[in-house]
Amino acid sequence: MSTSNQIDPRGPRFGAAITSTLLAVTIYLALDAATKDAAFGLFLVITTLFAIGAVFGVINHPYAWLFKSLVRPRLQAPKELEDATPPRFAQGVGLFVALVGVALHLAGIELGLAVAASAAFFAAFLNAAFNYCLGCQIFLGLKRLKVIR
Amino acid sequence: MSPESRLALVFAIVVVAALVGAIWKLTSGKSKRIRDGLQVDLTELGVIKNGSPVTRFGSRITFLQFSSEFCSQCLQTARALAQLEEQSDDVLHLEVDITNRLDLASKYNILQTPTTLVLDRRGVVKSRIGGAPKAATLEAEIGTFEI
Repeated sequence: MSTSNQIDPRGPRFGAAITSTLLAVTIYLALDAATKDAAFGLFLVITTLFAIGAVFGVINHPYAWLFKSLVRPRLQAPKELEDATPPRFAQGVGLFVALVGVALHLAGIELGLAVAASAAFFAAFLNAAFNYCLGCQIFLGLKRLKVIR
Repeated sequence: MSPESRLALVFAIVVVAALVGAIWKLTSGKSKRIRDGLQVDLTELGVIKNGSPVTRFGSRITFLQFSSEFCSQCLQTARALAQLEEQSDDVLHLEVDITNRLDLASKYNILQTPTTLVLDRRGVVKSRIGGAPKAATLEAEIGTFEI
């Protein structure tokens, strides 16, 4: 663990708040035939954002830049820093769920997009509002079930 | 679907998520008493502390913390428990990364990290704390054991 990989723990929660808002809008749009295409477009943007977080890390995410330039100057210094790999794992899980949603939608499954967006919304909302940590809760379980190595 | 019912549905999802979160927050970090707890085997855990293997339990209480990769709350928990250990001679904090010790994960039935087992001076599991322990929970646990 290098010190350069340490981040303000409020950064990922700020990002999760934006993500959950975008996902709520996606769900709303996905539920009507007239706005379904808009929902899919927005969902593709969210999927891309998850991919950036998962592949390049949350430090290099646009939300981190937003947090640094707009939010952090208005906050007090963080009490403690945290490692950047747990939120990156969460971004990976988000990416997986988003890709499943994209696949379901492209396969023509009626509620696929809304259901995937709802699942991702749950995790992002719990992270933003309650500091829920996906890496803490499901990583070990997935490993024990041999879903991940 | 009408805009009203779509809004209602999104609102319902938010409410359910908030309820789940509140329940999780309330129950996480509290301790659960364990009857007939396991006797912890220090050799099997293989914890190295200050450069040498740990061979003795805390003379009053031992906090055995299981951590894993990708766990932000494990770090916070380790800080809190290390501080308690520093404050008194009879409190011991052990941390085991079980990312690659799935044998321990199944033996102690660990599903989430951090999970902290509270051991008496003989190393028998007395209670179990899932999630980042609340400060009051830790104080109460220490108070349970006679010096």
